[in-house]
Amino acid sequence: MIIETREFTRVEGNGKAEIVIEDGEVKDVRLKIIEGPRFFELLTLGRHYYDVPDLEARICAICYLSHSVASVLGIERAFGVEVPEEIQLIRELGLIGEFLESHSLHLYLLVAPDLFGYPDAIRMATKHGELVKEGLALKSFGNRIRVMVGGREIHGINVKPGGFGRWPLPEELEAVEREADGLLTIARRSVRLFSEIGPYGGKAELFVATDGYLTGESLISNIEKNFHYTERIEERPLVYSFAKQSLYNGRPFLVGSLARLLLKGDSLTPLARRLFEEHREKLETGYVSYNNLAQAIELVYSLERAKEIAKTLLDGGIERENVPVEAREGEGIGYVEAPRGVLIHHYRIDGNGSISYSNIITPTALNHAMMERALLWEARELYGEVPEEEMLGRLEETVRAFDPCISCSVHFAKL
Amino acid sequence: MMDKLKLGVFELTDCGGCALNMLFLYERLFDLLEFYEITEFHMATSLREGNHYDVALVTGTVSTQRDLNLLKEARNHSDYLIALGTCATHGSVQASVELPIREKLKAVYGDEGNPMRALDSKPVVEYVAVDFALPGCPYDKNEVYQVLLDIAKGIEPVKKDYPVCLECKLNEYECVLVKKGLPCLGPITYGGCNAVCVRSGLGCIGCRGPLPGEVNPAGEYEVLRELGYDDEYIIRKFKTFARWEP
Repeated sequence: MIIETREFTRVEGNGKAEIVIEDGEVKDVRLKIIEGPRFFELLTLGRHYYDVPDLEARICAICYLSHSVASVLGIERAFGVEVPEEIQLIRELGLIGEFLESHSLHLYLLVAPDLFGYPDAIRMATKHGELVKEGLALKSFGNRIRVMVGGREIHGINVKPGGFGRWPLPEELEAVEREADGLLTIARRSVRLFSEIGPYGGKAELFVATDGYLTGESLISNIEKNFHYTERIEERPLVYSFAKQSLYNGRPFLVGSLARLLLKGDSLTPLARRLFEEHREKLETGYVSYNNLAQAIELVYSLERAKEIAKTLLDGGIERENVPVEAREGEGIGYVEAPRGVLIHHYRIDGNGSISYSNIITPTALNHAMMERALLWEARELYGEVPEEEMLGRLEETVRAFDPCISCSVHFAKL
Repeated sequence: MMDKLKLGVFELTDCGGCALNMLFLYERLFDLLEFYEITEFHMATSLREGNHYDVALVTGTVSTQRDLNLLKEARNHSDYLIALGTCATHGSVQASVELPIREKLKAVYGDEGNPMRALDSKPVVEYVAVDFALPGCPYDKNEVYQVLLDIAKGIEPVKKDYPVCLECKLNEYECVLVKKGLPCLGPITYGGCNAVCVRSGLGCIGCRGPLPGEVNPAGEYEVLRELGYDDEYIIRKFKTFARWEP
């Protein structure tokens, strides 16, 4: 017998799951990504590198800037271009804006209705209007940073190899510094609220992240340091899903907020670090549902870090000079922490500056196998114990905890 | 009190941005809810109670059989259907990969055939008649706000009929095509974004699709040729967002 969930709601993109029951027991769970394939790597093949980050941004709306930055890093590494600290900091600030926008969208508009028993945030707002407004305030602040660095709220084209089209103005950075400070109270409250979510979705045992907090030269995990995805991570296609599955040394693993805190908690900003320590024991159990709490702690980190970066840039003054980029034959990998986890853009570029090979692996694709495992664990806990509808509801919440970006998951190819 | 209009948001295959952009209206979304009741919007709500929609917003391309079924359902149950965003109006980037679907699937997924019933990505307007088309990758959220308000008041919304170039000039931005030699599609692209990319000092990439009528793509082509861009580059650039030009 197969029980099928409805299409998931309050997630980005289209997906559902099948629970396979044999002899009255849960035998298997299949996570079906039914969003159509989008063939992004084919799209960029033969294209001039300069246009590629703008196209790649369109893989995802929630985290377009992560895609732009990962693409730019991959291209710069292929050409051996190094950018000064101020460019790195402004990019990081953009990614921080994306964390704020994406995490607050997920926590307040997608997850919070589960906590309060509403079908959506709009209906929840009738009783909990303040809360929804607080979430929207964080989100809109994150988006303003994305506009400043990325050029638009969605699919901006301002982040380029070697620098930016338009540079942030001092008064914009002053506003970031001031507003980030003001929003910290809301983010602290967020940690308290989402720490009330209990353990579900099974325990992750393997965690993978980039070696820096938001970008990196290589990957790290809880069992080894500094490796490239090509050495350890294997992708396989599935007949029932448009997204491939990735395994690390043959095993499912977790990327995202929880993985980042557990692997890189030492590099958090002061208040975020204190909150992490406070909840550390709980987070270290590895329950997938605690990814929500980890995201709330990252909201605090993002605000503190945004303030720090704005201050550094204002104190030091900005040169506002792009680094000249010259195309040459090469290969490069860009690693970025998108809000929902490790994002990989890998390119080979020919002497004319055209893309000859492209591989992109998104966090939701990396988490795909882990999502199935979490659903299997949850289905085994609940099947026969609670009414079917309640089980299906809980499975949907489990998928939601990953903050999956289904649209992103459907366009990887090796060519 | 007048009954609220029933609004459905339907997502076919896309990046999620056109649905997300509705949420980026923030408080103004609540203003729209004075006139509308959202009865289908799976990114935002778990509630599903619609069987008839006064207004349906459809985003994304038709890229699977599921998308096609959903589109037909939306069309059959709605009075006023808006193709929202460049995927829905022109196909956008994902429709610009010109290989046949079988070859594309083989390149990405290997030799498994087509078990999930993927189709070659095409815009919504290729399959059904739409009452209004609002392009943009993503569309400008102020525009959709105005369109929905117009419909609620019984006014037929107005389609933009001028290029991005005009908005660029109104903003007094420096012409990146003339001054920097950057490939800018502003002269031949549907206006409505307020020339947002030129604001960054970068060329318009044409994400709102080509403006039909009195524009001059041949002239744009010549200008780009003179700037030293080759034929293949220019043609790909023209077709990136609009291979399925309506």
